[in-house]
Formats: sequence, C-alpha cells, structure tokens
Amino acid sequence: MTGVQLVRRLFAPNRAHSILLVLAGAFLAWEVAVLIFKPPIFLLPPPSLVLGLLLDDIPFYANHARHTLGACLFGFAVALVVGVFAAVGIVYSRVLENTLYTLLVALNSIPKIALAPLFIIWMGSGTASRVAISATIALWAIVIDTVLGLRSVDPEMLDMARSMRATRLQVLYRIRLPNALPSLFAGMKVAISMALVGVIVGEFVTSEAGLGYTILSAQGTFNIPMVFVAIILLGVLGTVLFYAVDLIERLVIPWHVSHRGGAAAPTTTPSV
Amino acid sequence: MTTGATSRGSVVAPGVPYVDAANVDKIYPSPKGAVTALRGVTFDIRDREFLSVLGPSGCGKSTFLKCVAGLTDISAGKLTVKGIPVAGPPANMGIVFQRDILLDWRTNLENVLLPVDFRRLSRKEWVGRARDLFALLGLSGFEDRSPWELSGGMRQRVAICRALIQNPELLLMDEPFGALDALTRDEMNLELQRVWIADAKTVLFITHSIVESVFLSDRVVVMTRSPGRVLDVIEIDLPRPRELNIRETPQFGTYVAHIRELFRQMGMFARSP
Repeated sequence: MTGVQLVRRLFAPNRAHSILLVLAGAFLAWEVAVLIFKPPIFLLPPPSLVLGLLLDDIPFYANHARHTLGACLFGFAVALVVGVFAAVGIVYSRVLENTLYTLLVALNSIPKIALAPLFIIWMGSGTASRVAISATIALWAIVIDTVLGLRSVDPEMLDMARSMRATRLQVLYRIRLPNALPSLFAGMKVAISMALVGVIVGEFVTSEAGLGYTILSAQGTFNIPMVFVAIILLGVLGTVLFYAVDLIERLVIPWHVSHRGGAAAPTTTPSV
Repeated sequence: MTTGATSRGSVVAPGVPYVDAANVDKIYPSPKGAVTALRGVTFDIRDREFLSVLGPSGCGKSTFLKCVAGLTDISAGKLTVKGIPVAGPPANMGIVFQRDILLDWRTNLENVLLPVDFRRLSRKEWVGRARDLFALLGLSGFEDRSPWELSGGMRQRVAICRALIQNPELLLMDEPFGALDALTRDEMNLELQRVWIADAKTVLFITHSIVESVFLSDRVVVMTRSPGRVLDVIEIDLPRPRELNIRETPQFGTYVAHIRELFRQMGMFARSP
C-alpha cells in the first residue's frame, strides 16, 4: 500500500463523514437537551456556549493543550523505550523474568494514580514528575503486549533460523522483534491513552499549566463552561493521538493481516 | 539436463555415505514417562542421492530429519554427516519444512536472502543467484511481492529457493508438499525433480505418500509405526526424468504394491472389526 492510498483510505469520505456525523449528532442532542430541560449553566452549559468560549481564546487553550500534549508524548516515549527493553530482558533472561516481571505485576496491581503524590515529592512539581507518572501508567501495556509478541513466535520459525545458524541476536532483531510488532502496536494504542491519563493526574496534583490544571482552576472558580472546554479538548487530543498511532502502525506493518484489505492475491500462476 | 549432471565433484571419498545413521535412538523425556521416537535406525544416504523416508504419521521420520539437521540430539547410536558426528546445524545444508514459514515482513526475494543476511554476506553478491532460482522455479516477477500475496504452492517454491540459495550439498525436506492440494503436489513433484536433475544434491525427503516417494526417489526407506524403526530400504530403478504418467506403468505399480504390502503387514489398512 502506498502512502497516498493509505491517506485516502484513512480519510475516505465514508469514514470521515460517519465520524463527523456521529459527533455532530451527539452535540446536537446535548444542545437540544439543554434547551428543553434548562439546567443551571454551572451544571451543564450548552455546547454552543462551550464552543464559543473555546473560539474566544484559542491561544490560551492551545498553550495549555501544548503543555499536556508535550508531557504525554514524552511520557509515552519513555514508556515505549523502557517497556520494549524490559520485555526483551524478560523474554531472554530467566532471572529478569523472575524478578522484573514479578515486580511489574505487583506494581501494576497498585492503582498507579496513588503514586502521583510520591512522584511529585521525589521529582518536584515540574514537567519531569508528570512525565514520570505518565510513563509509569503507560508502561504496563507496552511490557505485557511486547512480552506476548516476542514469545508467540512459531517454534518452526526458530528451528528454521537455527538451521541457518542464526545467532541469538539475529533471531531477536530479524525474527522476534518484527514478529512482535503487531502486538507492540496493540500495546501502544492502550499506552497512548494511559499516558494522557497520567499527565492529567499529575496536573491535578500540582501544576501551573496544562488542561488538567485548566480544569482544576476553572472548577475552583465555578467556571463550568471552561471545564467543559478543557474536557472536550482532552477528548480531541486523545482521539488524535490514538489515530496517530494507528496511522504509524499502518505505515510500519502494512504486511500484517489486519491491514491487507486492498491486496488481492495474484491470479496468474507460473508455468511448470 | 537429462543426465544427472552435477555442478560439483564428489564431496565425500568413494564409498563413504554422505549421511550415515547407525543404531540411532531418540528418546524424549516426558512427565508421563520417556517416549521412544526412534529405535535402532540404521541406513545411509549416498552423495547426491535422492532418498525418501516413508512412514505413517508419528513414526519419527521428522524427528530423524531434525537429528540430521542438528536441531535435536540423538539419544544413542551414531549419526554422521560427511563422516563427522552431527553437533548442531551443519553448514552447507538447506531445509524445507512442511509449512513454508516465510516471513511476512519481508518480500519474497528478501525471504530467499534470509540465510545470506544471517551469515552477514553481501546481498548484492547473492541477489543474482536468488533471481536465477526464482526463474528456475517459475517465480520470476514475484520477487518484490509479499509472501501473503502468493498461493500455497508458490509460497512453498519460495521456501525451496530459500533452502537452495547458498547452494547446499545437503537438502532436507520435511513433508514439503503435505499441505498442498493433489494437483499442486504433482506439479511440485515434477518441479523438484527438474531442479534436482539440474543440480543433484543429497536429498533427505520425508513423506507419508507412497506414490510421491517412489516417483521422486533413488531409494525409499520405509519406517514402522512408533517407535520408528527401519522396515525396509527399496531401490527405485526407474529412468529419469520421470513423467507423471510413469505412475501408471506396471513397474511403478509393483513398487507401490510392495510398499503397501509392507504397511499392511505392519497392521495398517486393517479392516475395523
């Protein structure tokens, strides 16, 4: 699949239209509901008001969104790098499997949000602590899916590599890692959302900027429409990040079953 | 092409077999007690001979191939390749498995070049031979396609190219056509014979098809049910190249009937009470 075909398929009229239609429908229902039931504006503002507020001060919201996005991408990247290396270690080393993996399982059973205040004590109230929280929350999905991907290699594939006298390192980067990519991307799609959760949690605990900060400070002044602006921006951010990972996946592993849609098997058979 | 023309001189001294198995046992330990896969397997494969090992499912014939390939150790006996006891996969060997095991993330050409990559050789120097093999197996034009764009038969041809890329002396084939439909299988049998006649290698071919083994081989080793033992070794004295219709000749039929009788005596094909 070429890049052009890919972009065309991703933004095919049908797909884009149906997404927009569903979202527009939801907003319309919200607007109508507010018109009919007339709740106090500090409980549920109509979407038209929320949208107007956003358009009134785009630079303000863009600045906060940039802070959140930056920390989220940074945290995600840290989780990705640490997670893949940890997974390789766990798959290749019995010792690491018994120690690191066990620790990760234990760590994962703690609601990691509970660790946020600790990170801020350890790392200060700057971006570093939010990146760390974000990475910690995103890490698990990367590790668990990469371990699964690295392990689910066809044993015959390993026999084949061994019969060709491949080294352990070659088996890792020529067989196991490419084989784990579909699994890794599945983990990344979960992790990118988790990374955003981590940043917001960090911003809730302490921060001077970001959409989480916007929500908290707006709530403090009962500026509920502003809370809604930030929430909607978070929704947009999360969706865009998810589809960004999805797009990268399509570019990196066009060979995987889930992306083969367009490829038809050749009908010509070679002559004997 | 009609003579067994070879591109190399003999690599073993006259009279010395390429592969020599003497009293080979293979026992798998298991929690429910040891399982004997091979017992006292003794036969040899001559240099540039096409030899088939034929036996019912689970008779250990694939295990034997894995032992020769150095992918698993033998439990007792002696197994040598070119006079040297097998210890790990030997160089100069190519394997074709029942499933093609092509890597989806590589093009067909890159799949064939996989052994070259593993040996850290220059792809440039081997790509010419790879393309020749694609032509030889009727795959020209599919070099830059992906394996998943090919039919089962074509995928297995790519796997054969991959096994042949480094011009191995020994070719091991583990039921390579077992997953193909009957017509494609016939086609592949002819193809394999053609490739072998063009450049005779020592071939160990595992199959459970009597007809296939007689059609392709110089000799057929018949194995018993588990634990696998050698029941008989049959010399197939039919001229080459063999056409598919050789299977309808009385001579061919005699070989097939003889082997089927061996299986019948083993207790197979018995009518259920």
